[in-house]
Amino acid sequence: MMKQKNVNKRHLRNDILLIIVLLLVAATGAAYLFLFRGFGDVVKVTVDGELYGVYSLSQDRTEDISTGEDGRQLNRLVIREGKAFIQTATCPDGICAAHRAIFRNGESIVCLPHGVVVTVTTAQTQGEPDVVV
Amino acid sequence: MAVCVLLCGLLCSCAPQAKKNKYTTHSLDYFDTVAIITGYESSQKEFDAVAGEILSQLAEYHKLYSIYHRFDEMENLCTINELTDGAHRTVTVDRRIIDMLLYAKEMYAKTDGMLNVAMGSVLSLWHNYRTLGKDNPDTAALPPADRLRDAAKHTDITKMIIDEENCTVTLTDPLMKLDVGAIAKGYAVERIALKLEESGVTGYVLNIGGNVRTIGTKPDGSPWLIGVENADSSDYLAYLQLSGQSVVTSGSYQRYYTVEGKRYHHIIHPDTQMPSEGYLSVSVVCKDSGLGDALSTALFCLRQDKGLALVESMPGVEAMWVTENGAKTVSSGWSKYIKK
Repeated sequence: MMKQKNVNKRHLRNDILLIIVLLLVAATGAAYLFLFRGFGDVVKVTVDGELYGVYSLSQDRTEDISTGEDGRQLNRLVIREGKAFIQTATCPDGICAAHRAIFRNGESIVCLPHGVVVTVTTAQTQGEPDVVV
Repeated sequence: MAVCVLLCGLLCSCAPQAKKNKYTTHSLDYFDTVAIITGYESSQKEFDAVAGEILSQLAEYHKLYSIYHRFDEMENLCTINELTDGAHRTVTVDRRIIDMLLYAKEMYAKTDGMLNVAMGSVLSLWHNYRTLGKDNPDTAALPPADRLRDAAKHTDITKMIIDEENCTVTLTDPLMKLDVGAIAKGYAVERIALKLEESGVTGYVLNIGGNVRTIGTKPDGSPWLIGVENADSSDYLAYLQLSGQSVVTSGSYQRYYTVEGKRYHHIIHPDTQMPSEGYLSVSVVCKDSGLGDALSTALFCLRQDKGLALVESMPGVEAMWVTENGAKTVSSGWSKYIKK
């Protein structure tokens, strides 16, 4: 009888150990996803290589990116329905404003005259491109 | 015991493996375009070291091949184009200029003259009018036809004399100019990629203004996935998988200006001196990014049957043409690069 009690206790201890380890595994997995998959789909804006801002693709907004010494160079970034585009720009060529809306990982809009680069950064899922040209 | 084995299995599968992460950086400083470097490394520091070396080499090629700026410490394309007392002087240049110009001559012959680096007199007229037109859209104009015709008289590539032994270049026609915009960027990208490959670098992709060159595969052995953009829609024109190859696209939507409501792009046909008509874009897949760069421009100017024949005659080269009405044509082996 005593022996049976000890065996049951040992099983209980093993079960608790198993639960703790499984919880640890789950927590590690969650931390991995959080750290390496990022916070969600965003567009990253840089000006002359420096980070200007990071904006969520899931929230509609309009952002005026002002650059140049007097801040008069303007690129109006619009995020709408999960896609980002330059609505208007004061650059001479207007190529950035003519670019279609971007939303896939790695897609970017470049305004060379103003040194502005808008890049979509998402958690790359299998089958999505590494480079878009 | 079984529990222990299960736990060990679970723990091992979750233990951090010595894996490489993906890093990206970009620069707007070279070749009047955006340079994007992507690579897999174990740490940011390792990636920064490789990317720094790539950008430093790109900076050198940018200076050597610039036709718009001269740099104090070197002779370059700009100084070859300069006139001294009404004539071009014989300029001693870096070997990398000689090699690129020799390659350009080779491509001139292969493409039936559609890739001509001696077209600088014509292209500079277009460049000036395009720049003025962008700055002042209301007064944008086309270069006068008579000026284009006159300029076209000074595009004979045989008047570019290269002395390989002494590393000199002389333009014997005082009114001719070199413009290497259709070949220099791809040529530079290829030289940089070869150097990286020689030093054992793998798992990188260089995208220098649309000249994409992959170096090896990704760390898991899978190919790089490259989406070729459609200028007018969010669908890709092609979805390629490449390992160690290059893809280059020439498109009428990349650089242009508008005159009286009509767009005039930057790919000028050598015979008409006007923007080449018929295609929206031409993409070329091959190992050598220099070849891809030169060919994509040449194919944009060649009739499609001639272009297709040229591509089919070149081993390891594939191409895709998209006409102005959106029709797509591909060479016989193009499909092997398409992601299934």
